[in-house]
Amino acid sequence: MEVYHSQVLVCGGKGCISPDSVDLYRSLKSEIRKHKLNHEIEVLRTECLGLCELGPVVIVYPEGIVYNKVKGEDIAELVESYFIRNKILERLEYKVLEGEGKIRNLNRLEFFKKQLRIALRNCGIIDPENIDEYIAFDGYKALEQVLTAMSPLEVTETVKKSGLRGRGGGGFPTGLKWQFAAAQDTDEKYIICNADEGDPGAFMDRSVLEGDPHSVLEAMTICGYAVGSRKALYMLELNIH
Amino acid sequence: MKTIQDLEEIRKNTFNKVNQGTDRKTTRIVIGMATCGIAAGANEVYDAIVDEVSKLGLTNVIVAKTGCIGVCRLEPLVEIIRPGEEKVTYVQMSPYKARRVVASHVLVGTVRDEYTMHVIQGKILNDYTLDNDY
Repeated sequence: MEVYHSQVLVCGGKGCISPDSVDLYRSLKSEIRKHKLNHEIEVLRTECLGLCELGPVVIVYPEGIVYNKVKGEDIAELVESYFIRNKILERLEYKVLEGEGKIRNLNRLEFFKKQLRIALRNCGIIDPENIDEYIAFDGYKALEQVLTAMSPLEVTETVKKSGLRGRGGGGFPTGLKWQFAAAQDTDEKYIICNADEGDPGAFMDRSVLEGDPHSVLEAMTICGYAVGSRKALYMLELNIH
Repeated sequence: MKTIQDLEEIRKNTFNKVNQGTDRKTTRIVIGMATCGIAAGANEVYDAIVDEVSKLGLTNVIVAKTGCIGVCRLEPLVEIIRPGEEKVTYVQMSPYKARRVVASHVLVGTVRDEYTMHVIQGKILNDYTLDNDY
């Protein structure tokens, strides 16, 4: 088994076909072999990396140095400079911008930086099976407030005023639904959680139930208080299509 | 737990365990173990981390399972939050990589950058696919 200390990726995408028609991958591999480094340095060709503007692209790991606009005639110099003399070939080096390169914290990614998570606020942060961790981030505080300081009517009014709507296609006003349910004059009322998630391919409900189940329990309990129900059901259907 | 005071006690005592800010006093190791994580092999990663932590005799370390962290295709994900440090997200972990991370980052503070995300022009390059060697 070879133990490589370096991995070189040569992009094999259409945008990275060298302007002088040299097969960079073949050329790099033979240059490495010429210097007898082929047991330490692994050369791999990848599919399109998506960096077509910078092509042809050569990336060296573990450092993560990105060489851009690499031409066939540069290969010999690249190998000599970086792998033998340990110096980055500056004229071909892609200088990383702010927020690029090796990113340590997931939340610094452009994609995640701008997100304000509400329903998924605890997912990926707390241990979903540990109620203490849910409590640590103000879990069950809402229920505490509802049970000690609010009447069922006040709870329904608060939900109505908030404008909260159902997340299904209908978008029915939640507060109104609770108001209608509360108005029913009957002994037994049930809160039902639809955990079926019938939408093919959808998994947002699963994410919440897996990552933050107590938030759902707390919400159902608040609903039960507002509506006058003493029993709740989880509806989970095993759908094998 | 019987009273509202008990709830407040739990909140106060547990906040420091879960909090991801730099004012933590203990190290927290979080492993993504939702459906995405488990499908990618997070169970083995979790076991390896628990074993390595005990093997190295590390105290002051919390190892926790969590739900979906948000980048399912890079699972298994392991996040390390040490006191005074910003959180580090390790991607595409394996039991071997996890043990290295514990022995390096958690034990002595050397971040293993080769296991973090590599982002160029907004693209995460970690899950590149290899082309045929023709």
